[in-house]
Amino acid sequence: MAGVPLVAYLALGLFLFSVGVVGVIIRRNPIVIFMCIELMLNAVNLTFLAFAKYMPSKLPTGTTPVAEASMSGQVMVIFVMAVAAAEVAVGLGIIMAIFRLRKEIDIDEMNLLRG
Amino acid sequence: MSANFGLIWIVIGLPVAGFLIQALVGKHIVGDGSGKRLAGFLAVAPIALAFGIAAYLTVALTEFAPGAREVVSPGWDWINIAGLNVPFELRVDPLTMLMTLIITGVGALIHLYATGYMGEEKEYTRFFTYLNLFIAAMLILVLGNNLVMLFIGWEGVGLCSYLLIGFWYKDLANAKAANKAFIVNRIGDWGLTLGIFLLFVVVAANHQQFNAEDGRFLSYDVLLPTLGKVLAGMPAVTTAIALLLFVGACGKSAQFPLYLWLPDAMAGPTPVSALIHAATMVTAGVFLLNRLYVVFELSPIASAIIACTGAFTALFAALVAFGQTDIKKVLAYSTVSQLGFMFIACGAGAYWVGMFHVTTHAFFKALLFLGSGAVIHAMAHNQDMRNYGNLRKYLPITFITMMVGYLAIAGIPPLAGFWSKEGILGYALANNHAMAANVNFSYIVGWVGLGVALLTAFYMTRMTWLTFFGPERWKQIPAHATAHGEHEDHAEHAHQGHHHEDHGPDKHGFFFSDEEMAAMPHEHEHHHDLDESHKPKEVSFSMWFPLAVLAILSFGGGWVLHNGNLLEHWLYPPGTMALNLEAHPHGIPLMALSLVAAVGGILAGLFVYWKGLPAKEGWDESKWNPFRRAAKEQFGYDAAMVSASVDGGRDVGLAFWRGADTAVVDGAVNGVAAGAGWLGASLGKFQNGFIRQYALIMLLGIVGLLGMIGLSFGRLANGVPTPPTVSLPPQTMEGQR
Repeated sequence: MAGVPLVAYLALGLFLFSVGVVGVIIRRNPIVIFMCIELMLNAVNLTFLAFAKYMPSKLPTGTTPVAEASMSGQVMVIFVMAVAAAEVAVGLGIIMAIFRLRKEIDIDEMNLLRG
Repeated sequence: MSANFGLIWIVIGLPVAGFLIQALVGKHIVGDGSGKRLAGFLAVAPIALAFGIAAYLTVALTEFAPGAREVVSPGWDWINIAGLNVPFELRVDPLTMLMTLIITGVGALIHLYATGYMGEEKEYTRFFTYLNLFIAAMLILVLGNNLVMLFIGWEGVGLCSYLLIGFWYKDLANAKAANKAFIVNRIGDWGLTLGIFLLFVVVAANHQQFNAEDGRFLSYDVLLPTLGKVLAGMPAVTTAIALLLFVGACGKSAQFPLYLWLPDAMAGPTPVSALIHAATMVTAGVFLLNRLYVVFELSPIASAIIACTGAFTALFAALVAFGQTDIKKVLAYSTVSQLGFMFIACGAGAYWVGMFHVTTHAFFKALLFLGSGAVIHAMAHNQDMRNYGNLRKYLPITFITMMVGYLAIAGIPPLAGFWSKEGILGYALANNHAMAANVNFSYIVGWVGLGVALLTAFYMTRMTWLTFFGPERWKQIPAHATAHGEHEDHAEHAHQGHHHEDHGPDKHGFFFSDEEMAAMPHEHEHHHDLDESHKPKEVSFSMWFPLAVLAILSFGGGWVLHNGNLLEHWLYPPGTMALNLEAHPHGIPLMALSLVAAVGGILAGLFVYWKGLPAKEGWDESKWNPFRRAAKEQFGYDAAMVSASVDGGRDVGLAFWRGADTAVVDGAVNGVAAGAGWLGASLGKFQNGFIRQYALIMLLGIVGLLGMIGLSFGRLANGVPTPPTVSLPPQTMEGQR
């Protein structure tokens, strides 16, 4: 278990996630916001993988190394990637539709449902 | 001979059939007016036939022994629930047959009269539809064998009265008079219903004592024989029942607090006034007191109240009659006054005399009303006595018959009114049934009654002399008091004010103000006016024939019924009543006194009115003396009641509307809506359209949520119980970790 320690993975994940959050909050271009959301999702993915790698096995000793580590974290990452891809497809579709309608995609101008 | 008493169903069925014929095919029979004779015949014939059958059954009833004259003719089950059975069944006994004979007999005569009187009416069949329906309802009231059926009839006659008072409904004043009659009667019905309910409660509580295995507890033949014994032990309840029933009787029979509707009811056609508002319906209260005499004879206090109410009403109405110039209004107040006499009799315990006066009054008051109708008919539908005079020259038959009625009501022997009135005063003066607080009210009201008898003779002389004697005043009507017909224009009426009195409470705007009424479109139904060139004509046969028959009855009917105690022993055979009453007071020469009262009243009237209309009673009312002006306005009672009930009711309604409805109910509803709106507007401010702000808030929320979850897990992990508040100092948490 040598090499990069767990805290380094988590620190990187926290950094990436923070960048994503700040980006979502301060940027007005939806494309960039999407990229930031992807950044946050990938930060979470990184965290999942890190924990999966370092999580002690609950299986009895003597089994294979691959099976020794928990697979659930890695499975979750596959799910997140699939959902993120679907989300991007839908989101970009919406952005295209809005652009065709309004010829601009500044997110602060999209306030038709203002109370 | 054993008669089939099931025939009594035909007596009721005939008016019902007449009603259905008139209602369903009457219009086709009349056609363009040529079929009026046939339609009139179809209206009169059922009533006359019913009278014949009723007379036959009455004769058949005499075959039975006195005291056993009671036949119940079963009909069908009506209310039958869990041990209580209220069937629809009819009762033949002396009291019901007396009333049936009056209703159908006088009713048939008045129907006949009406075929002539209403001859020019466009809605001929509608009139007879109502009139036949009235007879049917009145017969149900009288013949029904339980108080529930009585109540049906009671409401039925009230409805017919309403419909007939408002017969010329296009005239708003008539519609208002009809409403007034219906509403005031409703107050009486309130008392009647409560009285009946209380009686039923008493019966239900003591049902073992009643001999009713088939559950017919409320039928008179089960109820009446035992009711006296049951009620004897509970005087307070008996008095309560008696007074509540008397409230009902007050409404229908126009006694003092509730008499208000009867004078206004004169807005209806004159045959209606004669039949419903003099001869039959208004006597329903006296009938009720006779029907349930076992209740009333047990309560001296209630009897005292009844006698005093009757005496006060008799006196009050007699005084008001002096201020009336409308011939029908005089007769209306006279009716109220005579009804007061009937209640004096019932209060004194002499129930049969009450019925005696009902009978004779039906004869002479129907006669007087029909006679006044003939006069009105001959005088271009003008009802003001100040425009009459010397009509004996033009209407000889009407004059002679009305003179008989006038002498009968004035109490001149041997005419009908003398016997019944003398009977009332005799029983009142001789007995002490009506005792309250150790005062013998019976004696007091007897003397009051004697005084009212004098007043009666006085005001009836006034009416008769102004109408039939003196100069022909319609030829000298002042220009400012031009004669108006019965259905004149209201705009004019409102301005001239004092002339025509047949319009009920229009001064006090029952539903509309005078201005609104004046603005309403109005149809003239009669086109000729009373002026100098007017020639009164004697009425036709169909109109004077009933007058003649009623005159004969008014002349001899009282003596026949009085002779040999015929009516008393017919209604109450000796030994029936618990009360032991004296018919004649000792030491008071009553016969002489009532004769003095009658003759004195007439002489006083002659003294004043011999030369015609005195100047101080003329068209110009500002010259009237204050008493007469007050009497004309019923001493302010009508105005006070109308303003108290109508205006007061409106004020209460307004107070509830503004106070309760607008402020509380509407306030609650609007408040909820406004609150929701305010909440929505406040929360809507968060929805400002800045998507990035939403994201920030979501972030903060998630951070807060995660923080809370983290804290909770931290505490659970350390076994620390959850504190009541979530705000723990952070350093504590650090330490725990």
